[in-house]
Amino acid sequence: MKYALFLGCKIPSRLPAYEASTRAVLAHLGVTLVDLEFTCCGYPARNVSRDGFVVSAARNLALAERAGLDVLTPCTCCLGTLRHAQVLLDEDAPLRSRVAQALAADGLAWSGKAAVEHVLPLLARLIGTNKGATVPAAAVSVPRTGLRVAAQYGCHALRPANVARFDNPMAPTIFETLIRATGATPVDWPRRLDCCGDPLHEGNPPLAEHMTRAKIADALASGAEVLCTACPHCHLRFDAVQSGAPDPSLRTLLYTQLLGQAMGLPAKSLGL
Amino acid sequence: MSRTLFHMALYAALALGALGLLWRMAAWFRVRIGPDARAVTPAERVGALFRGAASALFSRRLLHVVAALFLDVLLQRRLYANDKLRWLGHLLMFFGFMLLLLLHALAPVVTVPLFPGYESTLAPWLFLRNLCGAMVLIGIALFLYGVWRRRTRFAPVRGPMAAAFIALLGFVLMTGFLLEADKIASPQAFHRMAQENGVTDPAELEPLRALWAAEYGVAFSDLRQPLTPELLEKGRAVHAEGCESCHARPQSAFVSYPIARALASVAGALDAARADVWLLYLHVFACFVGLATLPFTRFYHAVAAPVSLLVDAAAPKREFSAAARASRRALALDACVRCGLCDTDCSVAPLARHLGNPTLLPSHKLIATGALAGGSLLASGHEDDALRAAEGAFLCTDCGRCTSACPVGLDLEDLWEAGRGDLAAANLPAPAQWVRARTASAWAELLRQGQSAHVLSDPDAALAPLSADRNSFSRCVQCQTCTNVCPVVAHSTDPGCGVDLTPQKVMNLLRLGMRDFTLGSRMVWDCATCYQCQENCPEGIRVADIMVELRALAVHRLGAVRNWKAPS
Ligand code: SF4
Ligand code: SF4
Ligand code: SF4
Ligand code: SF4
Repeated sequence: MKYALFLGCKIPSRLPAYEASTRAVLAHLGVTLVDLEFTCCGYPARNVSRDGFVVSAARNLALAERAGLDVLTPCTCCLGTLRHAQVLLDEDAPLRSRVAQALAADGLAWSGKAAVEHVLPLLARLIGTNKGATVPAAAVSVPRTGLRVAAQYGCHALRPANVARFDNPMAPTIFETLIRATGATPVDWPRRLDCCGDPLHEGNPPLAEHMTRAKIADALASGAEVLCTACPHCHLRFDAVQSGAPDPSLRTLLYTQLLGQAMGLPAKSLGL
Repeated sequence: MSRTLFHMALYAALALGALGLLWRMAAWFRVRIGPDARAVTPAERVGALFRGAASALFSRRLLHVVAALFLDVLLQRRLYANDKLRWLGHLLMFFGFMLLLLLHALAPVVTVPLFPGYESTLAPWLFLRNLCGAMVLIGIALFLYGVWRRRTRFAPVRGPMAAAFIALLGFVLMTGFLLEADKIASPQAFHRMAQENGVTDPAELEPLRALWAAEYGVAFSDLRQPLTPELLEKGRAVHAEGCESCHARPQSAFVSYPIARALASVAGALDAARADVWLLYLHVFACFVGLATLPFTRFYHAVAAPVSLLVDAAAPKREFSAAARASRRALALDACVRCGLCDTDCSVAPLARHLGNPTLLPSHKLIATGALAGGSLLASGHEDDALRAAEGAFLCTDCGRCTSACPVGLDLEDLWEAGRGDLAAANLPAPAQWVRARTASAWAELLRQGQSAHVLSDPDAALAPLSADRNSFSRCVQCQTCTNVCPVVAHSTDPGCGVDLTPQKVMNLLRLGMRDFTLGSRMVWDCATCYQCQENCPEGIRVADIMVELRALAVHRLGAVRNWKAPS
């Protein structure tokens, strides 16, 4: 199994542990990752130019297509943005031809062949929590029994569901199932599907902070020991709000780190 | 060449170069980039430099500095990692040039004391000089090829001084080779030396001339006897006595010698025109011009870039004080060599091309950051440049790829952050901030009065097709579901988090044909794109997508009536 790894802008510079743990866990499960010369997914461009956003996204999709690979991303915002661009390209013919023109300047073309996938559903297929798994759940050798974990889904993985095609947007289960697969116990928390506040941290810092703190308080009140993330934006947001405090009141852990621990992979390879 | 003239010109060039250097280096302590840099004085910055240097000299960091000197400055390890061809070109140019400088230009003070018996016309110096010159020329060729190969719509701004520097370097080398070739071929030069060595008797002179014509490349036009083996043998005997100690065969000058052969037919004319004299003047004075203008051509990077690399090695950037950081940023402006490797790797390069705005690209953004700090970006008449620079600065994703690509190891993300602070201070903050300066209805009123020519823009329908098409929102039944699930509305009772409209009201304004009243709305700008509204809307209205499109439209339409002026 082979994917083009799309890390996006945040992971390499701000959260290298996510890259390390994603690579470690997927290597352990026999997935080959290829690095292409990807650029920004296009998310920041949405605020200034719809065409600019789709061109930015389509360039990446076209690169993967040229390499004959599907795209795998650990970032839910990149997932949402790339899939959003695919939908727009599908439904808007004039946009498609404008984008084709822009891509042609770089000798690229988009035809929609390269699919975009997030790490979580792939892991769900691989470690046997879904039908058609290729690796048995026994890949987990050091179960994290007893650890109470709150799943942070991330908006752009879930909504809009017709674009993200990730899980049931009202009652998703995939993240909790994956947590259970590591031996840990998922906690039910009322705000689990809420926004982490990250998109507002520059435009309206007080509002962003209220949103993040509300989630942290809710997870703590629901008995979580760990807040488990699958998006660099959410993860860094929770860390940023809690930084400065002597001990973060709610520890954040990337899902790939949690799974890596359960698989008995060395902490260093997981960026821990 | 007269010694007095030579020395006067040399000292004048040295003095000019040194003054220029001082002036340019003073900028490292004077130029202020970033709000935190405004709080420290130049004196504090000089102090920070000395403290930093002292603590590096007397600690283990000294080892880092030495390692950086070899690996980063001399061997260019960062460039090697990013672009092998450029690395090769750079090393050829650098080592060729340095060896020429030390062994040839500074021969009296370097080569002579090191190698007793040194003569520029002996082996291996003839060969080495040609080798070094050829290295530099090949390096220049590789550099130009690299520039051509990486040509894009937005090449890094190299400016006339970069071209001037390359042209001057090429000129020095070409005159050097021509001068050497002319001296090899020149009968006049031969006769002058023969005279100086007392070879005047035709019985000695003729065989020597024959030998130098046959084996040393002199282009005599008046040889009286055929070059028989006996004659050459006699010549060799004369040569062994007077000439051999200073003259090796010039064939090892593998560039100049073929040129000398090519010039053979005009050697007499060149002699008559005193080519040796003016070529020497051109060669030497071109070097002096290079020396005097060094601080103001691209060659200045040869000073600033190594300093930058060594400073980085001397102190990890996280330990920098505000004073040190301020100097570090000013130094970065000078140390950038405009290689454009950052631009190639920039995450938003495709967007820069789409928007037609090069200031999204790091090498251009660095120049804009400098222009902002220097004040020229805020001069009247440059409003469009300033607005574009602000667009570029706020679309940067802080991915850090420019920093990893930079062969000079500049901490570009720090520079970008500082630049954004300066932009905000010049009343050019991110759109989400400047939109807040007026209420939604005040913006709508401005739009009503103002011209609506767009500064830089896709057409409205391409920016916001959903809000331009009634079908995308006319089904709204004003049920308020979107408002009820919106986290921004839910938090609006928290201190400092009020909103003016709700998602449902935004949809209603669209239905009423009052789109202009939404563009400056807090709700539109504070929307977190969580997509709860869109997911839950019973009518399937793409509420969140509409919100985002309205922002893109607002950036352009409100930007056009914003009427920004530089703060005086
Ligand atoms: S940090 Fe900004 S300027 Fe640098 S490469 Fe990334 S997007 Fe480009
Ligand atoms: S910032 Fe660095 S990488 Fe970019 S042009 Fe300057 S020297 Fe080159
Ligand atoms: S949920 Fe849909 S139909 Fe209801 S008010 Fe919002 S946009 Fe209109
Ligand atoms: S996408 Fe925006 S408007 Fe819609 S619910 Fe989320 S924050 Fe509110």
